Amino acid sequence: MKEFRPPNFPLTCRESIDVNFNVLKNRRPLSQTSCYNPDLDTMEDTFDDEDFLSDQEDISVQKVLQTLEEAWLNEKFSPELLPSQEDYVHCMMDQIQQMEDNLNKLKKTDFRGEVHHMELARIRYIITSYLRTRLDKIELATAHILEQEALRGPENSYLSEGELKFAKEFLALQESHSKQLVLRHMPSPFQEFMPTQQTLVPNLRSHVFLRAKKDVQSVVIEGDRDNRDEEVDLDENSQHIMQYQPIATYLKDGSLQLI
Amino acid sequence: MSLCQSYVPNYFSIADILATQERVPCKFEMQVKHLGFLDPGSDKRDIEIGTSIELPLWMASVLNSQRPSIADVGLPKVFKEAYRDIMKADPCVVDLHKLAKYFYEFGMNLCMLKHRESAEIANVLVESFKQRFRQILDWAQHSTTEVAESKKLDNTEKIIYQMGREVGSRLHMWLTEGGSLITAADMVIQHKKMKLTQKDLLH
Amino acid sequence: MFCEKSLNLIKELDRSTEAMPAFDDDGVRQVFEEMRGLYDQNVAAANDSTADPDGTAIAGIAIRHAALERNKRCLMAYVYNRIRKVRNMRWQFGSILPPEIKANLCEPEIQWFNSYSKTLALYMKSIGDQGLNLAQDVKPPKSLYVEVRSLTDYGKFEMDNGEVVLLKKHSTHLMSRAQCEPLIIQGILEQITH
Repeated sequence: MKEFRPPNFPLTCRESIDVNFNVLKNRRPLSQTSCYNPDLDTMEDTFDDEDFLSDQEDISVQKVLQTLEEAWLNEKFSPELLPSQEDYVHCMMDQIQQMEDNLNKLKKTDFRGEVHHMELARIRYIITSYLRTRLDKIELATAHILEQEALRGPENSYLSEGELKFAKEFLALQESHSKQLVLRHMPSPFQEFMPTQQTLVPNLRSHVFLRAKKDVQSVVIEGDRDNRDEEVDLDENSQHIMQYQPIATYLKDGSLQLI
Repeated sequence: MSLCQSYVPNYFSIADILATQERVPCKFEMQVKHLGFLDPGSDKRDIEIGTSIELPLWMASVLNSQRPSIADVGLPKVFKEAYRDIMKADPCVVDLHKLAKYFYEFGMNLCMLKHRESAEIANVLVESFKQRFRQILDWAQHSTTEVAESKKLDNTEKIIYQMGREVGSRLHMWLTEGGSLITAADMVIQHKKMKLTQKDLLH
Repeated sequence: MFCEKSLNLIKELDRSTEAMPAFDDDGVRQVFEEMRGLYDQNVAAANDSTADPDGTAIAGIAIRHAALERNKRCLMAYVYNRIRKVRNMRWQFGSILPPEIKANLCEPEIQWFNSYSKTLALYMKSIGDQGLNLAQDVKPPKSLYVEVRSLTDYGKFEMDNGEVVLLKKHSTHLMSRAQCEPLIIQGILEQITH
């Protein structure tokens, strides 16, 4: 499969990240950082953690970055909050920190330093943009998101620990503010703060642009007033515009990419 | 930061609150004591059976949903057959801002009341929107300044038009300057403008 | 007609899309009064329903109840939409508000702003090992250094590397993007285009 190359990253920087990574590998192998690897899901259970990680030394920063970029785009274009990629974020931030430490050791006149600093700034932009988008969604539909999160259970959480804490505090802030300013002055049956009835709910029927990363069969599109239900197949690499709701599960399992 | 999702009316939405303030004729099917003042043309204490009063939609939907129903909710002027025919004939010339500022929102709220003519209302909303949208798209893409005729748009269309213009100018900026120009925050610019005008007023 | 005062509050917000109007204490208080009146009438009517054989009191109660819900909705929306603006202020002005802006906020809104800033700061600190300032890198960086012009007599500005720059009105500088980004967003500097 052709590797995803975002148009703005200069070719030289890409390759230099790999070079840097090799340098880093000798100092602090990736096996000692906590990098989540989705490929682990496909491995047999007979391997223990040690072997997994040493096999994964080849997981390049490239792959982490690619996953982050895709997660960032998906989060930007999807109407609902998607599962958090905080492990990748954490991993990437560690890498950025290490590379910055390395770069600071270079002579000030070394031109390579500037180019790499630029690359790191751009990666940091992706991370901050990704986390800001998530925060915006959490703030808009706090009660709804917390409710859904509770239903999903701790095994299946979409929010990171920090986000969950933020969401709860934010909702509490809304409640105390409404009570303080208006609710306590109303007649008693109307004083209740009803977050789940009044919360914004993401509009899952929003339309999105998507690209199928592999063949997807039998996506059911609900009919409306004028049309009946339809079933469509999405071919690999085909692009479509359709309602978000029917494709939500395919997005979350990685078969599609929002564009 | 704007998020990618279509607008959906919600409890806090100012547009929805204003849209549900639009009036509809309500023909009372029972007497209602002490609320005669709701009818500006009457000086009676009570509302008598058979009286028809123009009431806001938020009140009308309650009147309609009670069992037994307190009043029969009719269609407002803009969705009656005569006006529906005008919209069908040529939707693009109609000044929706003057006729019904919240045309689409109001119409959709009306449909939720499950009126006998809801299907026709839904039709006129969809068809008008489809045709008028072409015009809006054209204006947004082909003109850098605000088109004078855009004053005839209803609230929803105005928002779409502004979004279209904004996207157009952002694309233009990206193509010419690379789009990475850091700018002062909108609120900061607004605040500065206000301070300048206040200074001018003082001199 | 019921709920005219609460509707006015909403119209006030609708009119002012950019600036934040002053908090309408009087308007809000009048809505509370109307709600109290409606509620008392309903309680009285409900208690009297035993003397109302044909059940038409229910209609009056239902209408007043709808007005009460409507007033609540308008008040909640008034508070909510204002607080959304206050929230945006944190991201656009930073954690310190200009006094003219602050003058239009009521005391609880200022407290909300401070609590929100705190909650936000805690969250940002919890990202990764060392935290991450989410208010930086607002646009994709295209260069490490940018040319800027100072819009005010800001005075001395100390950069991360210890170097001190004197920002006088109209002076131009070449600064690292990361350093001057917050100053540009706050309107102290502007980026020069060619």
